[in-house]
Amino acid sequence: MCLALPMRITAVADDGTATLALEGLEQRASLALLPDAVIGDYVLVHAGYALSVLTEDEAEETLTLLAALAESAAAEDAEAASGRAAGSEAPGRPAAAPEASVKDAEAGGRA
Amino acid sequence: MTDATGRQPAERGPAKPAAGPDAAAAKPAAGRLRGDRVLLGHGSGGRLYRDLVAEVFVAAFSNPVLERLDDAAILVSPGRVAVTTDSHVVQPLRYPGGDIGRLSVAGTVNDLATAAARPLALAAAFIIEEGFALDELRAICRTMRETADEAGVPIVTGDTKVVERGACDGVFITTTGVGEVVVDHELGAAAVREGDHVVLSGGIGNHAVAILAARGEFDLKTDVVSDCAPLWEMVEGVITSLGGGATGSAGAGSPSTTALRFLRDPTRGGLTTVLAELAEGAGLGVEIVEDAVPVAPGVRAVCDLLGYDPFALANEGKMLFVVAPEASERVLAALRAHPYGRDAAVIGAVTAAHPGRVALRTPFGTRRVLDMPAGELLPRIC
Amino acid sequence: MAAPDAAARVVDALRHELAAVAASRPPATFMEVCGTHTMAIARFGLRELLPESVRLVSGPGCPVCVTAHRDLDHIVALARLPEVTLVTFGDLVRVPASRSSLAAERAAGADVRVVYSPRDAVELAAAAPERQVVFAGIGFETTAPTVAAAVLEARQRGLANFSVLSLHKTMPPPLRALLDLGETPLQGFVLPGHVSVVTGLDCYRFLADDYGVGGVVTGFAAHDVLRALIQLLQMDEPVIANEYTRAVRPEGNPVARGVLDQVFEPGDADWRGLGVIPGSGLRFKDEFAAFDAARRFTVDPGEALEPAGCRCGEVLRGVLDPAECALFGARCTPEDPVGACMVSSEGACAARYRYRGFDD
Repeated sequence: MCLALPMRITAVADDGTATLALEGLEQRASLALLPDAVIGDYVLVHAGYALSVLTEDEAEETLTLLAALAESAAAEDAEAASGRAAGSEAPGRPAAAPEASVKDAEAGGRA
Repeated sequence: MTDATGRQPAERGPAKPAAGPDAAAAKPAAGRLRGDRVLLGHGSGGRLYRDLVAEVFVAAFSNPVLERLDDAAILVSPGRVAVTTDSHVVQPLRYPGGDIGRLSVAGTVNDLATAAARPLALAAAFIIEEGFALDELRAICRTMRETADEAGVPIVTGDTKVVERGACDGVFITTTGVGEVVVDHELGAAAVREGDHVVLSGGIGNHAVAILAARGEFDLKTDVVSDCAPLWEMVEGVITSLGGGATGSAGAGSPSTTALRFLRDPTRGGLTTVLAELAEGAGLGVEIVEDAVPVAPGVRAVCDLLGYDPFALANEGKMLFVVAPEASERVLAALRAHPYGRDAAVIGAVTAAHPGRVALRTPFGTRRVLDMPAGELLPRIC
Repeated sequence: MAAPDAAARVVDALRHELAAVAASRPPATFMEVCGTHTMAIARFGLRELLPESVRLVSGPGCPVCVTAHRDLDHIVALARLPEVTLVTFGDLVRVPASRSSLAAERAAGADVRVVYSPRDAVELAAAAPERQVVFAGIGFETTAPTVAAAVLEARQRGLANFSVLSLHKTMPPPLRALLDLGETPLQGFVLPGHVSVVTGLDCYRFLADDYGVGGVVTGFAAHDVLRALIQLLQMDEPVIANEYTRAVRPEGNPVARGVLDQVFEPGDADWRGLGVIPGSGLRFKDEFAAFDAARRFTVDPGEALEPAGCRCGEVLRGVLDPAECALFGARCTPEDPVGACMVSSEGACAARYRYRGFDD
């Protein structure tokens, strides 16, 4: 276990609960275990409680990784292909890379 | 007695006089219903019953056949006839995107559509809980009428029973539909061939998620609405695109309509159940590309929160088609041209490998098996 | 193979890297100890991406699967009490106990409710003061703090009709017990990402220090698991590393641990397949005895019956592959399960069952 979903805090109430949102889903969760969380934070929620604030570290790592694999993929393609059209995109670099965010990293993993 | 096809809304008008003792009761009595709740007496078959039928059901569903108030309606069909029935016990009765009324009509129209049958007539039987609000009943009948009009089908006969408070959940509706099959060849799993394409008319899971949120068992709000809709027009568009005649004539059945092998609407049990039935029935394998199956982000979010699989969730406005590969582009275009098929996609293909089993190809190129969902849908925390 | 989008390309690249790293090292067996990892690995078909020399086994990470029969029987006995509203996570509903299940009890008239959050159980208690609301507390360190917080809320609201049967367990003790058994040589652990959100990393150091086995705290995306395996393979010295940095801090969540420690203390727990492990469970501190369903109600769960031929214990210890169990796929299927490993959607057997007949 355990199932936990990253959601963004859109409101914090006086009673220690927060409103969380993700793709049109709105849920209330308790901040009893994460009292310092604030509006705008992207948090992991499990069984109705926020457990952790997610950071952007992963997005940066993913970008580095994507850049690295773009190089290795390019090398592979160069070996394997003969007379293949280059195309407008560099092989292996997805157009979404510059926009990669924590959400994308999570979403990609859930795919 | 004159026969009626019972399927031309244009013929609506004053009821034709008919021989028989019930002629006098054919015109709906104005304003005889008293009070705002359904009483046990309304189900007893006497005067109260006649008032309920006249002022609620006939008033809402009005058409020449129904207004005769015969116990049976006579229909004429030039070709093969399909018949289907469905009971509807949804809670809550009203939810974002629909209500039990819309569901009861669309569900039966869609079952007929899976047989490539144009709906000719519907029958509707009601079991109503004593104390049910008449206004709510009228509203349900209104949406039934609207949905039936959308599908071009009249509600020609029905039945009403009233049970003691607590003996049913508000109202149960059973609809039976009769339709005319507009293709000549046999549809079904036996018609499916290796290499056929699997086409889905749109995103899955919306109905189940909308119901879940509306039931309020989990403290969540979502903007997902039920996809509940009658799909005959959309299916007819697909058949027409394959050169088929949907005008009611027996027709030569142009060879390309045989490109249509199998249709099923993924209701309870979801897409997974329909695919499993397809594979088992055809004795062939089915491979689905996971990323090709449309799932709305709002549905995905609720599923991720509760640990549900969108493939196992009920839909009430979706149709799955298995078609010959050379026809799938045309079928896709026909679906996407219709409001209920905008997000249609080819989601997979029939294969000789792993006969009887369904495989899902993940975005990573690996495969996993899709089995029928085991039982009731339960949220997980683990 | 084609990798059309970012996530797929990342996984593809990692697969190649894993193969390259594994090629220059001896064969290795790693164990994951989290039901959600078992699920994710099955869902992404990750085993297909592993090189021959890398083996991934499932350990005792599914809180449903490791719940002993006598504890399941205890829950069933509580559900049978006419004054009790038994509230549970969905995971437990279909698990077969010795003679029944919560689903069967519900069909027989017991008041069994499924919730997503322990807070919902507290609300149920507040809304129905004439009922005794009993919450079936399963889960490890991710879930136990949420139950502890719910108990604190119930106390703060003065609810006299709310209690919890605590079957919560903690993660590090069974790892020690497993290694002590020494049944399968393990080269490392894929450590649970969300448990570690609460615990932090220190509680795993003993794996490296006392047993020379490394571990990587891992997230639940396909790329997380592959990266963790690469990190495990590349360890020259056994260490505890964190792959899931976006969610896990080295110090964990001290507030959550504080809430846990306020309400619970370590106690003995009975683990299916491992027996009683001292200090591996969470029991209510005396101060919270009023919320302890084990103390509030006296029930006779009856004799615990292990289903004949069930080898869930060996599966949970990672020494038996599900497909090697004689009952697997024959007498024991997800529709008609014998043991918990088949009932829970992330039990090793249920996860494995989905693969049968493919690429054999």
